[in-house]
Amino acid sequence: MTPPGAPSAPPPQGGRRQWTVEAGSTAAAWQSATVLDTASGRLAGFPGFLRANGFAVGGGDAVQVLQTAQRVGMLDPHILRWSLQALLCGRCDEWLRFPELFDAWFLPANRWQRPECRDADDGALSGNWPNGPAGEHERTDDSEEIRPRQAASRQEVLTSNDFRALAEREHALDIEALMRRFARQLKHIRLRREARARHGRRLDLPATIRRSVASGGTPFHLAWKDRRRVRPRLVLLIDVSRSMVLYSFFYLRLARALSAELTDVHSFIFHTRVTAVSQVLHDPDPWRAQERLHLIAQGWAGGTRIGDSLAQFNREHAPRIVHSRTAVIIMSDGYDTGDPARLSDALAQLRRRARRLVWLNPLSNRPGYAPVCQGMQAAMPHLDLLAPGADLASITAVLPKLIEALA
Amino acid sequence: MSAERALELAALQRDLGEAGYIAERSLVAALLLMQDLGRPLLLEGDAGVGKTEVAKVLATVRHTRLIRLQCYEGLDAHAAMYEWNYQRQLLAIKLLEHDERGIAQKEQDIFSERYLLKRPLLEAIGCDEPPVLLIDEVDRADEAFEAYLLELLSDFQLSIPELGTVHAVSRPLVVITSNGTRELSDALRRRCLYQYIDYPDYDKELAIVRKKAPQAATVLAQQIVAFVQGVRRMELQKKPGIAETLDWTAALLRLGISVIDIDGAERIMETLSALIKTRDDRAAFPREAVARLAAAC
Repeated sequence: MTPPGAPSAPPPQGGRRQWTVEAGSTAAAWQSATVLDTASGRLAGFPGFLRANGFAVGGGDAVQVLQTAQRVGMLDPHILRWSLQALLCGRCDEWLRFPELFDAWFLPANRWQRPECRDADDGALSGNWPNGPAGEHERTDDSEEIRPRQAASRQEVLTSNDFRALAEREHALDIEALMRRFARQLKHIRLRREARARHGRRLDLPATIRRSVASGGTPFHLAWKDRRRVRPRLVLLIDVSRSMVLYSFFYLRLARALSAELTDVHSFIFHTRVTAVSQVLHDPDPWRAQERLHLIAQGWAGGTRIGDSLAQFNREHAPRIVHSRTAVIIMSDGYDTGDPARLSDALAQLRRRARRLVWLNPLSNRPGYAPVCQGMQAAMPHLDLLAPGADLASITAVLPKLIEALA
Repeated sequence: MSAERALELAALQRDLGEAGYIAERSLVAALLLMQDLGRPLLLEGDAGVGKTEVAKVLATVRHTRLIRLQCYEGLDAHAAMYEWNYQRQLLAIKLLEHDERGIAQKEQDIFSERYLLKRPLLEAIGCDEPPVLLIDEVDRADEAFEAYLLELLSDFQLSIPELGTVHAVSRPLVVITSNGTRELSDALRRRCLYQYIDYPDYDKELAIVRKKAPQAATVLAQQIVAFVQGVRRMELQKKPGIAETLDWTAALLRLGISVIDIDGAERIMETLSALIKTRDDRAAFPREAVARLAAAC
């Protein structure tokens, strides 16, 4: 978070010269050459600072920033901020975090020190998660009231053991191979919409006529339309509560392998609330992915409130993510400490939005298992498929049924 | 320079206001920057916050054409860029059969611009005056189309195999909107300026209502906005956007309701269909809930 004092990357020569002239004409006496140097150095370093904070900005952006600053001027911090915000942000969360980072980088030290202190208070959750810390602390306290003794040690277990497995090589190749197979089979799911195809059910008239131009207007070669094949979007909701401790990291690895294989996978973890982990899992570096999961995991508690989590998912994520071609896969044992009615409501709502609702339950291939616990009882009426999935073998076994359910 | 820019910004904001769009200053700054840098502007936000309206009003303010490409699932390059008019070409081939000219010349004739159907993207780069090109709901089109779009947005040129490359006569002002139903590619985001448009706050929405529905009395307008803001704070499947606010205002005016209070809750219930758009949400609005919201206005 510390901005460098000296300019890290000198701006393009032409740009600086013009700037000096321009400053002279706007008659700001204090703008000596050194101040300008510092200012442009500070500007040029800004994209790097954003990158360090997880923004998707590239090396070429420093030039753009200087050009922009040159164009809009630097005396009005608001205009500069809005302009840079439009230039450097690419998505909603970056947009929301930008003002804070802008202030931190450009405002004098005593003005940005306050948020810095607050961040330090929250330990590992530094500036990267500006909205997270307060809420998460409250929640942790909340569940500690319910289970005072176990909370601390359980958190320890989750953060130090489980995610390390994310990067382990053991089974990694098998999981990847299985997920590749899964992805390949998903490709064959067809849509109502049509596209040009080599063989098909209906004649594609424009294409046929176009081809006939080559043969002087006689349609020798026919073109066809067929139903388009498109994969459904997958939304994975992974239960990471204490009862799932044996399985959750396995599911996270599945999710990671799957999102490397398919573009349209959205992963979430939940226990007493929902957290999006797609971006984290997508990190090409498994160690960094593990680091980032550690950060997210700080607030984890042991309880499960599936209904509340799903209701939160419906409220915050579903409108954006779940559409009529989405298959939602919930991976949970169904042991719920919340209200079963709430779970039932949330699932019903989710079912209406999504195309398919599948529940993978790690316990359900145990001999004599019946979905009798309250959570599963509440969930059963809304599911398209309840499948076992404790390990790779059972997932492999259930794959055909899964594909069938998703189609 | 900053002072000039501030004036420019204020002027554009005023122009937008006169054209009927209440814009935040950050959006105006982005619009100015978009012209300076010649980059497209990507607008994101929930449905009904006025993303599409930005492009429309920009065209009005700049006195230029608005060319709109509505994206949908299955949109392909032919529907977005260009297509040959096959039927006419076929007729021409038949007519040219007894023509004396050589094959090459005939072919050149058949693949000339006369037989080209211009779709929005080709049309936009062929205009003499830079138009506003609105690519609406780009998240509905599939990823393959996004890749086509990238080529256009980076070079502003299109290649048509039979005709050669068409370069932009003038650079259109490109406005892209997305509802976020699908994650857009980073490549597209990198090429665009970005603006996130949130639901308007009380003051902004009041200004919009005053602007668009001047016949509503000040007190009523204030109450309407307070009521809608209250509705947005509730947990709903579909929060009402600005268009819904204006619809509802029109509905209230039509029914001759001049004040929102507890006594009138019954009549307000009758107009809620303009504001609440799903069955579940409707169930969240029994008479008591409406009365509570009305009382808070």
